[in-house]
Formats: sequence, structure tokens, C-alpha cells
Amino acid sequence: MTKAYSRFLTAFFCLFLAGLLVWHVLLPDRAQSETENRTLAQAPEFSCSALVSGSYTEAVEEYFADQFPLRDGWTGLKARMEQLLGKREFNGVYLCGDTLISKVETPAEGMVDKNLGYIDRLAGKTGANVVLGLIPSAAEIWKEKLPAGAGSWDQTALLAQSQVDFRNALAAHADEPIFYRTDHHWTTLGAFYGANALLDSLEKEPLKENNFTPETASDSFNGTLYSQSGIHWLEPDNMEFWVQEEGLTVTSWRTGKEEPASLYDRTYLEKKDKYSSFLGGNQPLCVIKNENVTDGSKLLLVRDSYSDALAPFLAQRFSEVHLLDLRYYRAPVSAYAAENGIGDIAVVYSVQNFISDVNLVLLTQ
Amino acid sequence: MIFSSLTFLFAYLPLTLAAYFLTPLRWRNLTLLLVSLFFYGWGEPIYIVIMFLSILIDYTHGLLVEKYRDNDKKARRFVAQSVVFNLLLLGFFKYWDFLADNLFLLTGFSLPASLTLLGVTIPLRNIPLPIGISFFTFQTMSYTIDVYRKDAPVQRNIISFGAFVTMFPQLIAGPIVKYKTVAEDLNHRVHSTENFAVGARRFCVGLAKKVLMANSIGALWDAQLAAQGAGTLTAAGGWMGLLAFGFQIYFDFSGYSDMAIGLGQIFGFRFNENFDHPYLSTSVSEFWRRWHMSLTSWFREYLYIPLGGNRGGTVKALRNILIVWFCTGFWHGASWNFILWGLYFAAWLILEKYVLRNVLEKTPAPLKHLYTLIVVFVGWGIFAMEDLSVCGAYLAACFGGAPLWSALDGYTLRSYAITFVILIVASTTLGVRGWARLPERAQKVLTPVLMALSLLVCTAYLVDGSYNPFLYFRF
Repeated sequence: MTKAYSRFLTAFFCLFLAGLLVWHVLLPDRAQSETENRTLAQAPEFSCSALVSGSYTEAVEEYFADQFPLRDGWTGLKARMEQLLGKREFNGVYLCGDTLISKVETPAEGMVDKNLGYIDRLAGKTGANVVLGLIPSAAEIWKEKLPAGAGSWDQTALLAQSQVDFRNALAAHADEPIFYRTDHHWTTLGAFYGANALLDSLEKEPLKENNFTPETASDSFNGTLYSQSGIHWLEPDNMEFWVQEEGLTVTSWRTGKEEPASLYDRTYLEKKDKYSSFLGGNQPLCVIKNENVTDGSKLLLVRDSYSDALAPFLAQRFSEVHLLDLRYYRAPVSAYAAENGIGDIAVVYSVQNFISDVNLVLLTQ
Repeated sequence: MIFSSLTFLFAYLPLTLAAYFLTPLRWRNLTLLLVSLFFYGWGEPIYIVIMFLSILIDYTHGLLVEKYRDNDKKARRFVAQSVVFNLLLLGFFKYWDFLADNLFLLTGFSLPASLTLLGVTIPLRNIPLPIGISFFTFQTMSYTIDVYRKDAPVQRNIISFGAFVTMFPQLIAGPIVKYKTVAEDLNHRVHSTENFAVGARRFCVGLAKKVLMANSIGALWDAQLAAQGAGTLTAAGGWMGLLAFGFQIYFDFSGYSDMAIGLGQIFGFRFNENFDHPYLSTSVSEFWRRWHMSLTSWFREYLYIPLGGNRGGTVKALRNILIVWFCTGFWHGASWNFILWGLYFAAWLILEKYVLRNVLEKTPAPLKHLYTLIVVFVGWGIFAMEDLSVCGAYLAACFGGAPLWSALDGYTLRSYAITFVILIVASTTLGVRGWARLPERAQKVLTPVLMALSLLVCTAYLVDGSYNPFLYFRF
């Protein structure tokens, strides 16, 4: 190796390492990552006790990784490399042509039976009619899109326990875009089919597709699977709003206090997390009132995020739809139903959430 | 701190290099000592104390051995004293729990979980293992022995000695650098841009082996082990898992060694090679001449030969092999499976030496290669599964105690086929030979391109926070 060439390699190596360090130091720290939809670690505060326990150095490592320059570019590069190597699974997400499908992990032992038991106990505690609706994930409905032989937990036995037949309602339209390609949620179309399945089991009149005029709310929706997988090269999803706001009054208890809200929070359409524009995303309690339905019928939805796209449809057939989230609403559900004159309680969960949720026990209060 | 982390690559390393090369020549050992202490203290700051203790005790014992050079009895006593100190250190932090557990199983006597002396409570059980303790205690043990044997001069400068004990490139995952290997370099070493460039290139190779090769196949082993737990393991899956683990540990370990050797060279040190394409071996004994060579040669020089080696008749030779391989196995972790793993190899080595010798000579090379690989990879099964009942069930599945094949195996094979091909080729000398045949011009152009690729892609994998285990936490 000549001296000049050695110098070149040495300089190149040092510049690469030092260059990224300087970049890292100069780059202002971000509070959160839009792409990953999470808050990022900040520079930890130094203390002798934290140093001795080792938690300080751990926090520095986390901070250094979270605030690394071009974070999203690196994760994208990794996904590309994995694809070149013939991998089909990317951080628990299968790449199936132009569609991303989340792998369903096997639930912890006893989890499913425990959660099913809580629903039964709620039925024993309230006078309202209780139905359980389990929404199959794309890995079930779009099974044949998965890579041959790829593993995903078999949902069929659990779905047989669902009183609302979401599975058949969705399977009948499996060739339509009923799930987002880059997000784990159902699309507005999927939620429409789901709403009719739920209305059917509550003995309500079904909705007709031609009564709605879909509005394309966004054509650049990159969902949770886009972030989780690092696969950033697929076409973004379209997102539609079907139900018009007229006649509907939305009230939200986002901060514990009653405040007016709307069916769609369009500010989210400018952000990464566009799905949260449905009712404004996760919240303890939200009530949709429809002044055009005058029979006084009231439905309580024990929700996960799938219900946000579902509720606008249900509000077409009920005077009031209450959405209650067990992760944030801690008072007894049966008492809430009694106080508000609820006639029907629908516990509607996606399979993936139902098999991992630890809050359903609150139903038994 | 570990090499395959963002903080090491993009904060510790550039700052350390800058500090080191800005230091005047005569103070560089001090800089090396300080940055190494920082490196070591990063994970468990409190354990820096062990470093100081090690430096002080071995340094003084070296001097004492030198002082009583003419009084062999005394000199030997000081060698023994330093060996005992190092073994006690290792014994307390690494083997205490294991011994206590087994004592309890044997006699029902339970050792206290902590000891209160003068109001201070000292925990006696479940003490976290100081990282790399098996490596650095072996290195410091070699020092007094080398001085005693006149294989190396005594080190009078405590800073230089401290730099040897704590030297961060090989501190936590080897190679085990004997004192005599670097004695000369500690005092007079060559800092040249050529050393730097060659070292940096070697570091990039090692980094890619660890982050891109070892980590990418490790997940496959974990999946098969989980399948064993869930009762869905097939024979094909079992073998894929063993292959995956064998590749993972080889590329992980030899990658670490490459990074260590490369970093050493950047600072002007010449470490010995640690791996020589072990999976090309055509016998188990050859495998052990090519695998973790710094450990095998340590045991040969400081244990096997002092015990008498193969001199003194068959019975003594057999005894010595069993002792050495018991220790080799036990060195890898305080658990019965590691002891079993060591004795498993002792059995094969004895078989090869006394029974199979003539048979193997007549066997065609490909068959011998296959035989060696099967022995070694089944050995990895014993190595990787601490719970011997799990290990037994897993290996039973590999040898026909389970369905041969499932649809999931097809998916797994398709997902990892390219990775397997890359790993197999990388285990041979094909790359080295191909590289040597390239015209010099092509090498010159390709070197920075490949280094950049390695750094870029490794960074991508590290930023993504993918699977990146440190396999030697038991060592």
C-alpha cells in the first residue's frame, strides 16, 4: 500500500465516522418522529446515581440512536437490503406484492380465554344487550396474499366466538380494498361492510352503499405498517370519508371535560397519522348524536381504533353512539350503560388487539 | 460498550482516535489506558474497580517474580499467587452461583444470599458478570507466567501495563492476547498511516461480519428454538436452526476478532489471528486448530503442556485431554451444558487420535468434511441450549424424532436461501483467493467502495435497532 493511498483510506474512514458525529451534534434534536409515530428519546440528564446504576449510559445510547441523522433513510435502506436478500418479513410485517400485512403473533397462553370470559361477565352485570364483535385482521381475510408457508396465528377458532360475523362480511368482499395496504386498519369501505354486519346482529336495517358519496380525504396516507416495516417504496394509500357531518353532533371527553368535537379532525390529514382524523383518534369517551334518528336508541361501543371508522356508519341507525376506550376510561362500563340508558353494548375489537389487550378486565367492574 | 453500536462507531471511536493521535508519542499508553477504562466502565461503571485491582496485583506480582528471579521457589510462589488471584476473581464473579446451586442440589445446604459486614451488605448471589472477565483474567495470568518463563521482560511502567490489561480492542471478546505477543509493541510500536488504513479495512470487514452476517441469521436460530418450545419443530427446521447458530457464532466471534485485530493495528499493535476458516476442517482436531486459536493455544501453553502434554503414557495423555477440554468447556459458561460440550469434543478428539486415525486417513476429503461439520454443528446444539432436556428434545427432532418438513420450513428456506449461500461462501477461502487474483487497480478502487458499503449498510441495520445480541455475556 502506498503512503498516499493509505492516507486516502485513513482519511476516508475517519471522515465517515467523525462526519456523522459532527452532523449528529449539529442536528437539532427532534421531539418525535412522524414516520414512526412515537416520541424520541432526549438527551438524558447526568447524575452520579444514574451513572453508577448504569441507567445513564443506557439512556445515552437510546438518545444517540433516536436522534441519529437521517433516521428514516437508514431504516429504508435496511428494508431494501432485506428485500434484496429475499426476505419477505420486515419487523413483523409481510411484504405481499404491493400490500403490507401484519403478522399476528401467537397470544400468551390463557389470554384469549380470559378476555372472552370478561365479556361474559359484563353480560351478567348489565341489563343491556351485549354483543362481541371480533374484526379479523388482513392476515386472515387476505390469507392467500401471504408468502407461501409464512406463519401467522390462526384466527379462525377465535373468530367463531364472535357474535358479529365480521369475518364473512369482509371475506365476501376480499377482492376489494377493505384494508389499507400500508396500515393495519380497515378502510372506510371495509368499515362500511363491517357496519352492516354489526347492524344485522343488532337487528337494524342495513345501510346502502349508494346512499353515500365517498370523498377522497387523502391520497398520501402512509400507515403504521409503512413505519413498522421500513418499506417506504409502496404507493401511499387513499383515505376516504363516506359519512357527511350534517345532522351529527360529536362530543368528546378528550381531557376528561366535555367539549364539542367533529366527525373528522382534518388537521390530522396534514400529519403522518392520518387515520386519527376519524373522530380525532384515541380518547376515553366520545358521543355521536344523530338528530335524524328519533327512536332514542343508544349504542355503546367498547372500542379500539377500528371503531373510529365504524362509528360514523353506525350513527346512521342510532340516536346516540357512545365510544368508550378501556385504556383511558376507568369507571365501570355497566354503570355507564345504566346511567345513559344504553340499549346495546357492542364490544368491538380487532383480533390483534383482543388477543393482547390487558384492559378488558375492566368490563367486569 | 460493544463495537457494533452507534455510540461506539460514531462517538467513542472518532473521539478516541482523535485523542490518541493528538497525544504525544510517549503519553499514548496513558491515553489508551484512560479511553479503555472509559470503554469498560460504560456498561457497569462500578466494575472499573476490578480493572484497577487487576492492574495493581498483576503488576506487583510481575515485579516480585523478577525480583526473586534467583530464588526459584519464591518466584514460583508469586506466579502461583497471581494465578490464584485471577482464578478467584473469575471464580467469584463467574462460577460462584453455579457452584452454590450445585452444592444446594447435592447437599441441601444453601449459601447465604448476602453477607453483612460492619453494616455493609455484600450480595453473594446473582452478581452481574463483569463483561469480558474470562478474556482479561486469562490475559493477565499469561503476564506473570511469561515473565517467569523469560518469554517476556517484566513491565516496570504501570501505565503501560495498565494499557495492556485494559486495552479496549480485545478487552471484552478476545482474541486472548498473551503478554509476550504485545510486550514489544507496548513500549515501541509503529504508528503509520499504512497500519491505520489496513486496520480500518479489517475493522470494516469485521463489522460487516457481525452486523450483516451474524445478526441476520441469528433470528432463524431463535425461531427454531421457539418452535421447539411450542412443539412445532421439524427435522429440517432443527438442522436449519443448528446451521444458523453455527454461522451466527462463527461470524459474530470472528467478526469481533477482525474488529479487534483491525483496531489493534490502527494503534500499532500486532495481535495474533484467532480464526482460520474453521468450517473447512476435515477433522475435529483440525477444527480446533482453526477455531478460537488464541484460546486453544492459551490452554495448550499454560495448561496442557505444564500438565505433561502427551508425554508420560496413554493414561496421562487421556487425563490431560479430559482436563483441558473440561476447562475449555467450562470457560465458555458456568453451566453443565458447556462442560458437556467440552467433554463431547474431548471424546471426539480422543476417538480421532486413538481409533479413527487409520479410518480417516483412507476416507475421501468430502466425507471427512461432512463428518466434521456434523460433529461440530451438533456440538453447537449442546453449546446453545443450556437446559439439557430442551437440548435433548431438540437434537432428537433433528435425528428423526419429529416430522421431517413443514410448509413453514419452505417459507423459512426461501427467506434465508440467499443469506445461507452468502454465509457458506464467506466461510470458505473463496473470497480471499478471489480478492488476491484481482488486478491491483481493481483492488484499489474496490477497497474504499466496499468499506463505504459496509459502514453504510451496517449503520442502517444498527439505526433500525434490529436484532443485535452480544453473545459473550456468559464468557
